[in-house]
Amino acid sequence: MKKLTIALAGNPNSGKTTIFNNLTGARQKVGNWPGVTVEKKEGYIKKNGYNLKIVDLPGTYSLTPFSIEEIAVRDFILNEKPDVIVNIIDSANLERSLYLAMQIIELDCPVVFALNMADIAKARGISINKTKLSELLNLPVIFTVGNKGQGTELIINTIIKEAESFSLSPKKRKVKYNREIEYLISNLKKNIEKKSLSLVSYPKRWIAIKLLENDKDIIEKLKKIHQNKIDDLINLADKYRARINFFFKDEPEIVLTDDRYGFIAGIIKETVFVSIRKRIDISRNIDLVLTNKFLGFPIFIFFIWLMFELTFSLGSYPMEWISSGVSLISSFIDTSLSDSIIKDLILNGIIAGIGSVIVFLPNILILFFCIALFEDTGYMARVAFLMDRIMHIAGLHGKSFIPMLMGFGCSVPAIMATRMLESEKDRILTIIITPFMSCSARLPVYIMLAGIFFKDKAGTVIFGLYLTGIFIAILSSKFLKATLLKGEDAPFVMELPPYRVPMLKSLIIHMWERSKMFLKKMGGVILLGSIIIWFLFTFPQNIQFTSDYSKAINDIKIEYSQKIASSDKTNKQRLKKELKGKIQIIEETKEQERISKSYIGMLGKGIEPLLAPVGINWLSGIAIVTGLVAKEVVVSTMGILYGVEKEDLGNAISRSGMTCLSALSMMVFVLLYIPCFATIITIWKEVSINWAFFNLFYTTFVAWTMSFLVYQGGVFLGFG
Amino acid sequence: MNIIHEQEKKQFKKLFREQGVDQFDKRFQVLESFLKSESHESSQEITKRLNQDNIFLDLDFVTETMTLLCKFGFANTVKFNDGILRYEHRHLGMHHDHMVCIKCEKIIEFKDEKIELQQVHIARAYGFQMLQHKMEIYGLCSKCLDNRSFVMSLALAKQGEFFLINKFQGGRKIQIRCASMGIKIGETIEVISVQRGGQLVIAVGESRFILGRGFASKIMVYPSNKISIYSNELNNFADNKKFCCPNILLSEMKQGQEGTIVKVSGKSVLRRRLLEMGMNRGTKVFVEKYAPLKDPIELVVKGYHVSLRVKEAANISVQNIKCRK
Repeated sequence: MKKLTIALAGNPNSGKTTIFNNLTGARQKVGNWPGVTVEKKEGYIKKNGYNLKIVDLPGTYSLTPFSIEEIAVRDFILNEKPDVIVNIIDSANLERSLYLAMQIIELDCPVVFALNMADIAKARGISINKTKLSELLNLPVIFTVGNKGQGTELIINTIIKEAESFSLSPKKRKVKYNREIEYLISNLKKNIEKKSLSLVSYPKRWIAIKLLENDKDIIEKLKKIHQNKIDDLINLADKYRARINFFFKDEPEIVLTDDRYGFIAGIIKETVFVSIRKRIDISRNIDLVLTNKFLGFPIFIFFIWLMFELTFSLGSYPMEWISSGVSLISSFIDTSLSDSIIKDLILNGIIAGIGSVIVFLPNILILFFCIALFEDTGYMARVAFLMDRIMHIAGLHGKSFIPMLMGFGCSVPAIMATRMLESEKDRILTIIITPFMSCSARLPVYIMLAGIFFKDKAGTVIFGLYLTGIFIAILSSKFLKATLLKGEDAPFVMELPPYRVPMLKSLIIHMWERSKMFLKKMGGVILLGSIIIWFLFTFPQNIQFTSDYSKAINDIKIEYSQKIASSDKTNKQRLKKELKGKIQIIEETKEQERISKSYIGMLGKGIEPLLAPVGINWLSGIAIVTGLVAKEVVVSTMGILYGVEKEDLGNAISRSGMTCLSALSMMVFVLLYIPCFATIITIWKEVSINWAFFNLFYTTFVAWTMSFLVYQGGVFLGFG
Repeated sequence: MNIIHEQEKKQFKKLFREQGVDQFDKRFQVLESFLKSESHESSQEITKRLNQDNIFLDLDFVTETMTLLCKFGFANTVKFNDGILRYEHRHLGMHHDHMVCIKCEKIIEFKDEKIELQQVHIARAYGFQMLQHKMEIYGLCSKCLDNRSFVMSLALAKQGEFFLINKFQGGRKIQIRCASMGIKIGETIEVISVQRGGQLVIAVGESRFILGRGFASKIMVYPSNKISIYSNELNNFADNKKFCCPNILLSEMKQGQEGTIVKVSGKSVLRRRLLEMGMNRGTKVFVEKYAPLKDPIELVVKGYHVSLRVKEAANISVQNIKCRK
């Protein structure tokens, strides 16, 4: 069987993904483009004796070297040399779509035009002469309606035909420029041919054009391969650029862009006919409400509230099922295996670790479903439109709002959601400050501590903590913008696509792909983390206890068995209960001593001097360390450390000498310090290991400083 | 613009050397200083700026050089109502008209193809061959219009303005005297001229009056919307796509207005991004709305919606503004 590689290219919102889903169904593979965090989707189909590999390229408006997506598309086409490129074109937006098309044609490869959303164009009174277009550009043109599945077969057939005919006789297609520029291009091309840049297999004319446009990416690539050999070529290009500048009184890039549009205008004139039949623009009417001066924000807040409500209330039911399922499994293992280190590892290390992640699956699924819904309907762009002004104050992009908001739920999906930001700088900035948004896993810590120490003012204190997080995030953004991430803001040129009824299939594919990524990434890390923590808790094994606990238990048992034997029936029950309670207390004291002598206890004592200035004792210190695995663990660790069930934890903690002030300091610390392992790993995977480390140190530094200010300030003011 | 200026300097060197004009270096300094500013300047102003740059030339020499520059086609003279002779750059093949604010004396340059064409048509209709023309529109610029207090004293009026009489200050006596002359509350006044010393020549109805400054200061007036008599015509005009205005920035456009892009400036990255999104020269752009917080603008370009920050929209100049319903 012959193999063909097919690439789908097109503008964002041109229905590319829908056609990709139609073509490949569920047989997709999602990954990243090498080196960058741009999603790469692949699918495989068999047809007419061909094995087709279909690649969904990221949606772009152009192929300039300014954004990672555009470079990814370009490099794919140039280096992987797909057999056919299907350029998906929004028929209702032909003129703009053709701009990208021209650049793809310039790359000199077999292209098929799929005029998608043909029905919408027709409804708007736009008729496109497809034969004429095909003749003018010398390539096959077909009509498709992605969301109704029309034209899917046609695409495949046309692809195969084009691939066959192109391999027989490569067609020459050219985007024509102004005469003066054409002259310069052909001169440059001749020079390139003379140089015989054999190592670069890119089309020569294209290289010439890119040299005229002063394309940094290409120039660097050429320099890397040919070193000094091309210096005079670049000098020549510079001379030509100056010449264009002189003749056209503008930068060559702009002149060439203008020329392309001129070429496109010619094509449009000959192929497109608009009959004046204006239909009511539904999208505009929806926008009259959704981005209304007065209603816009309330509606937006309502949607966000709904999203959170769905995520956390609806998600809490399956969450309970899962957690009871997990405890069922662990109790099964508990009974079926005999006591040993291995059993302990499986129970407290592996199952507890995986259980703590999998419990979030329903939340994540619902959250991603809502986000996919926002994106696919086109509301996400409106959110950015509404919020940009506010976010811009903090030096952020309007779209940053969604990840930051999601940060209140969980930092991991929030960081993954930053992929929708186009500029790398905005993305890093948003990623670094998102963990300051207090995630839902920190809430139990606040509820416990604030509940114990601030009683009826707990709500206000918790609200204040959330605000502190936001405030720190804004300050951090400002700080980073002024130091590490200096530079101009990315231009906010964003299409507001028409509202569309989303397709359930693509929503579910979207949701599942992202959730799968989450599970895959997090599962391993959390597992490793919880095994490490388990190890620190359990070892060393042979601890010298200060008193003989088993003897104490035996003594009590003997004491009570005598009492029980000599009492009547009603008292027996009471005494048995008393006995059980006493034994528990002794066991807990033993456990406490064991922990304090385990590695984790040593660690806790070790960091005590560091945490003393912020008013956190070594027991809470241990809880904070274990919180690195997941913030939920903080409360349960404190439970173990103070040796009581959750219900009595309050009394135990207040007995241990923690004051209101140190509780507040601890809460501030928990709010701001290192996000969980999973988050750090996500930052590593999404940006780089350096930024992950930066985040680690930065958050710790901020947390310590803030807690220090709170605690020492409080002591100074006499609240201690 | 700089490229043009470099060209002009080159040509100047060639021409003046060929003609053997004396004191070449000094004259070249005058040209350089003149090209530095895009505004309309008198020779006094040019001399002053030369002084600031530590080049000391006397006024007569500068005036003479400027005359030479006019002669060789590097500058044009313009004389507005204040009678001061000013110079502006003359770039060959580029023509423009002027709008002069009578209050702040700001001069706005504009060019409108339709007016240019219309002039040729009119001339042709009269069997007249047009060679040159001058077009100057006098009025109040948008800034002055905004700054003007609503009710003011007639003594502050400028030549050519229209007012409605609001009230009289200084008692009944004056009011009666005015009324006897036909100057009544609610009447329209046209300020024909302002003499030295603040004497006003005004027209009320069909008759002319001369008012002393003191007297005029007691008549409180507010700007008449005499122009609004024409405003219906203007609107019709606009609908007929004949009415044109100078370039304004996209960020100054109001909701519901439509215009044609004439220029996209700013940083290269932003420009290319805008161009890629289809905002190139000659494209029609419609302001759909401003975001609730007045920042990003929603535009319709080439049939699709796009949003831009106001700061970025300020890089786009737009022409032919009109309202679309």
